[in-house]
Amino acid sequence: MNKTVLAAIIVVIAMLGATYLAVGSAGGMGGEGDWVNKLAVLGAVVLVIVTVFVVTKYVRQMQYDKASGKLADENWDGIGEYKNELPFGWAVIFLGLNIWAIWYFLAGYPVNAYSQIGEYNEEVAAHDAKFEEQHAGMDDETLKEMGGSIFIVQCAPCHGLQADGIEGKAANLNVRLEEKTVKHVINNGQGMLGYPAPMPDRNGLFNMNTGALITDAEIDAVAKYVAGGMKGTEGADVFAGTCAACHGVDGKGMEMVAPSVVDYNPTLVADVLKHGKKGAIGSMPAFNNLTEVQVKALGAYVTDLSK
Amino acid sequence: MFHWLEKHPFFFAVAVFVTIAFAGLIEILPNFAQASQPVVGTKPYTTLELAGRHVYIKNSCNACHSQLIRPFKSETDRYGHYSLSGEYAYDRPFLWGSKRTGPDLMRVGNYRTTDWHENHMKDPAGVVPGSIMPAYRWMFKNMADIDTAYAEQVTVNKVFAVPYNAEIPMADGSKETVKLAATLEEAHADALEEAKAIAADMKDQDVKDAVAAGQIPEIVAIIAYLNSLK
Amino acid sequence: MDNRPLEYDYTIAKMFMLTTVLLGIVGMLVGVILAWQLAFPGVNLMLGEGLAEYTNFSRLRPLHTDAVIFGFTLSGIWATWYYVGQRVLKVSMAESKFLMFLGKLHFALYLLVVVAVVGSLLMGITTSKEYAEFEWPIDIAVVVVWVIWGMSIFGLIGIRREKSLYISIWYYIATFLGIAMLYLFNNMAIPTYFASGGIGAWYHSVSMYSGTNDALVQWWYGHNAVAFGFTVPIVAMIYYFLPKESGQAVYSYKLSLLAFWGLMFVYLWAGGHHLLFSTVPDWMQTMGSVFSVVLILPSWGSAINMLLTMKGEWQQVAASPLIKFMILASTFYMFSTLEGPIQAIKSVNALAHFTDWIVGHVHDGVLGWVAFMIMAALFHMAPRVFKREIYSKSLMNTQFWIQTLGVVLYFTSMWIAGITQGMMWRAHDEFGNLAYSFIDTVTVLHPYYTIRAVGGTLYLIGMFLFAYNMYKTMTSARRVDESELQTASPMGA
Ligand code: HEC
Ligand code: HEC
Ligand code: HEC
Ligand code: HEM
Ligand code: HEM
Ligand SMILES: [Ca+2]
Ligand SMILES: [Ca+2]
Ligand SMILES: [Cu+2]
Repeated sequence: MNKTVLAAIIVVIAMLGATYLAVGSAGGMGGEGDWVNKLAVLGAVVLVIVTVFVVTKYVRQMQYDKASGKLADENWDGIGEYKNELPFGWAVIFLGLNIWAIWYFLAGYPVNAYSQIGEYNEEVAAHDAKFEEQHAGMDDETLKEMGGSIFIVQCAPCHGLQADGIEGKAANLNVRLEEKTVKHVINNGQGMLGYPAPMPDRNGLFNMNTGALITDAEIDAVAKYVAGGMKGTEGADVFAGTCAACHGVDGKGMEMVAPSVVDYNPTLVADVLKHGKKGAIGSMPAFNNLTEVQVKALGAYVTDLSK
Repeated sequence: MFHWLEKHPFFFAVAVFVTIAFAGLIEILPNFAQASQPVVGTKPYTTLELAGRHVYIKNSCNACHSQLIRPFKSETDRYGHYSLSGEYAYDRPFLWGSKRTGPDLMRVGNYRTTDWHENHMKDPAGVVPGSIMPAYRWMFKNMADIDTAYAEQVTVNKVFAVPYNAEIPMADGSKETVKLAATLEEAHADALEEAKAIAADMKDQDVKDAVAAGQIPEIVAIIAYLNSLK
Repeated sequence: MDNRPLEYDYTIAKMFMLTTVLLGIVGMLVGVILAWQLAFPGVNLMLGEGLAEYTNFSRLRPLHTDAVIFGFTLSGIWATWYYVGQRVLKVSMAESKFLMFLGKLHFALYLLVVVAVVGSLLMGITTSKEYAEFEWPIDIAVVVVWVIWGMSIFGLIGIRREKSLYISIWYYIATFLGIAMLYLFNNMAIPTYFASGGIGAWYHSVSMYSGTNDALVQWWYGHNAVAFGFTVPIVAMIYYFLPKESGQAVYSYKLSLLAFWGLMFVYLWAGGHHLLFSTVPDWMQTMGSVFSVVLILPSWGSAINMLLTMKGEWQQVAASPLIKFMILASTFYMFSTLEGPIQAIKSVNALAHFTDWIVGHVHDGVLGWVAFMIMAALFHMAPRVFKREIYSKSLMNTQFWIQTLGVVLYFTSMWIAGITQGMMWRAHDEFGNLAYSFIDTVTVLHPYYTIRAVGGTLYLIGMFLFAYNMYKTMTSARRVDESELQTASPMGA
């Protein structure tokens, strides 16, 4: 075989190999039948093959052909010009493409017949249809798994891959509450999770045991107690006297009254996602673009984290 | 005919010019006829936000970040609703970008907050391990240029009738007004008010001190801008 | 016409040759720095924390693009114009004091603009529009420089002896007109200092267009800045330097003609391919897409014309590194003008847009085609303007292979990076949620960014070899006389 053609084939194989490696590792990513992915790869392949072989064709002409033709009368700085005809293939393709373009524009895909938003709506509908059934009947384990994968994309930028809050930059979701958060809430009150009545600040928090407003020492004690998962005895009396009225004796919260302070639960997570959260650590935006299943999934995942 | 043109440079040039100008007209004019109308809820930038936008441009954030959400499921999942033409009505220049080395920022105000930006701009890899975004620590020291932002507000209000001090319909049916200060001093005072609200959510002591002393560091302005992207 | 050979005056050509080499090195050095920064972000702090404001990726990126486009490429265009123009019009600059004066003024003002641009970009004074970053005071200076060049072109044409215009001249004229029109419209802006009665920075301006309209004008400009900066004038060069260096006649006048007018007609319509799936009307996008595909043919027309000009001349290609540069340039021209249309197909663009595949496309065009052709042109000109042979042929060969390897590493790595990233962005997992966080799609690129940086560094090394070779040619290579300069350039070992 001719050396040039051989070289061309080697180049093509090398380039296609490189593409294959890229697509081989990224290939599964598109999911079955993502024709955008396929077309892009096909484009890359066509690009290499066509260029290499067309250029090879002309290189072979350099090697084996002879220049010929009728020279024009003019001559510029010693440069002559042949009056050769157009290369046939080029001329035919040029003409063909022009006709194709006119056809495409006027008849094939008339300019007003396509709408990218229409196409988007179809894409979304198809996507939703594909997952509708799966999403309807998910057990807790699957929800958790799904939640984990949403978490990495949507939440990890703040909470970190380990959900540890990246050294205090956001809430550490592996533990329910930290001392400084509890203190902050007691001192300032809080009312953003959508409960009918907000939690009052320290000027509204009576300790039934003492019959007086909560004191600094009591705040320290109860904060430690809550952050420690309501274990031990220190601060327990303050909690019982001050907080249990709303958060329940066991701290698990009461519907329509106050959230749990001992564990995460799907409702709490859903409330946070719906309203966002601003507190001692910083602020978290609301996530209203998530679907119902996604919220449920995140709820399952986050609940599981601190167990 | 072509041979004749090649001997008559003036006509040759005219022919070339007509050929290239023609396509330009068809490509550009039709869209101008229906100039960008703002969609409901699109507001002009406040002085501080505009100053932040200048910081964004000054540092060519658009070299890595797009502000254009294309209508694909994968993009709307990641960034939110696809972009609408009218949302850009007050963007001069547009900042769509052409390369996404970093994520799209068209609606970053929806899912990031002041304190996050503060941490991230100071040390991106500290927040997002593996990030290749440069740290922008000098923004905590340099002061934002409020004068120029105000000059631009005055200009677009005067020349392009950008609706400052006018009621703007919001999506929920309410109306909002974005103020254009009457004087430069007033603009500074207003911007400082806005800056204080942002600095309150920040931790950097130098920044807090600067704002308390009546100055506005670039970081405060750019966070105001990023928060406004919704 | 008298028989004495004309003494062409290359003063201005030499000046622009100098800036071509210098700004080429500066621009590509910055490009290499950018490449390493993306692979290893620590490089953002290369001069320390204190100077990071001026050395970080985002501040330097516009400096790279503008230095290579308006520094390296434009200098190359002008260096060749002030050389080719005289020769194919058969008239010497020395014949007109006025044109000589214009030429010198052109160069002097150009230098001023370069200094202003470098300064202002480092300061962060930019309008953010790609390849049109300059603020209005610089824009005005640019327009003045451009008008001077125009006067110089048409002045020279006015006193020409060669009645009909050579192909290269068509392309230079088109470059002049195209950029003039595009630049003016895209840079329309209102200086806020004056409009607000003296408030704020005096150099600041606000675009005349907003949002989608602004984008449309910008990419009408951006796309055609590529056309009239990276394609048209470079084609002008190859049409002169390849036939001249090889002594072959241009293969087909008809093909030259059709390719030229085809390019002029089709190019402008294709700008929409930068705005696919954006908020510009659907039909405009479709138009950009369709015309991009048609554009393959006029582009390939010129490239094929040049390859066919070398018909039967393989021994020249094998023997001369100078011709190798030009043949590879046409090949890369074909490659990137097929790649572009493929990327302009909507569904391909859905994946490729915003990714490194575009950056790969850019650089197989600019490194393989633009820069190769400009360097070949300078190599051909050097013996003729300095009256010395090219200092070293083997150095030239070395440069050729190093840089070819550099380009190949650059575009293959970016090609893989782009497709990988594009696919990862689009991917959904088995639950129908996004499969990858954004940062996953960044860290996966690290190896490719590193390979690209290596490729870029190789290319830059080639630039240094080039500069050294040119310097030696200018100062100490063997002197040659006119008779050795008819066709193939004389080269030392
Ligand atoms: C009057 C009812 C009430 C009392 C008494 C009360 N809380 Fe609350 N607490 C709430 C409500 C309501 C919320 C939810 C606030 C919101 O919507 O953000 C809450 C929230 C909290 C939170 C924040 C949970 C989170 O994840 O954001 C903590 C911590 C907390 N309470 C601890 C306490 C402690 C400790 C006490 C006793 C010292 C206490 N609460 C007393 C009603 C109460
Ligand atoms: C822009 C940053 C950011 C993002 C993104 C983010 N969070 Fe948060 N999140 C925070 C911060 C900051 C806090 C702590 C708020 C405070 O100070 O109490 C928090 C707190 C929480 C809490 C605890 C609330 C409580 O009552 O203690 C939960 C649960 C939570 N986030 C879940 C999520 C989930 C699920 C996602 C993803 C869908 C998410 N977050 C995304 C910043 C973020
Ligand atoms: C070298 C490229 C680069 C430059 C320049 C750059 N960024 Fe980034 N940016 C990134 C990358 C990569 C990420 C994703 C990783 C991360 O979050 O740090 C990112 C993330 C972000 C995010 C988070 C968005 C999200 O959805 O998580 C914001 C906000 C941001 N950048 C703002 C800016 C601003 C403002 C500037 C300019 C002052 C800037 N960036 C300059 C590369 C860059
Ligand atoms: C037939 C000819 C060509 C066509 C149809 C074409 C098409 C394209 C397309 C579709 C893009 C990507 C737009 C996007 O998605 O962001 C692009 C980008 C680009 N092309 Fe080409 N291309 C062609 C030739 C060239 C050549 C020869 C060069 C340079 C030598 C070049 C330089 C560029 C540059 C610099 C960009 C990047 C623009 C940006 O900043 O985003 N193109 N081109
Ligand atoms: C040593 C050689 C070069 C290297 C290493 C290099 C590197 C780079 C890098 C890293 C970028 C930024 C890409 C990104 O944002 O992801 C870039 C952009 C760019 N470079 Fe180069 N470059 C080189 C030479 C050139 C030359 C010679 C030209 C033109 C003649 C050029 C024109 C451009 C353009 C137009 C862009 C913008 C592309 C876009 O926005 O899509 N480069 N280059
Ligand atoms: Ca770009
Ligand atoms: Ca400008
Ligand atoms: Cu283009």
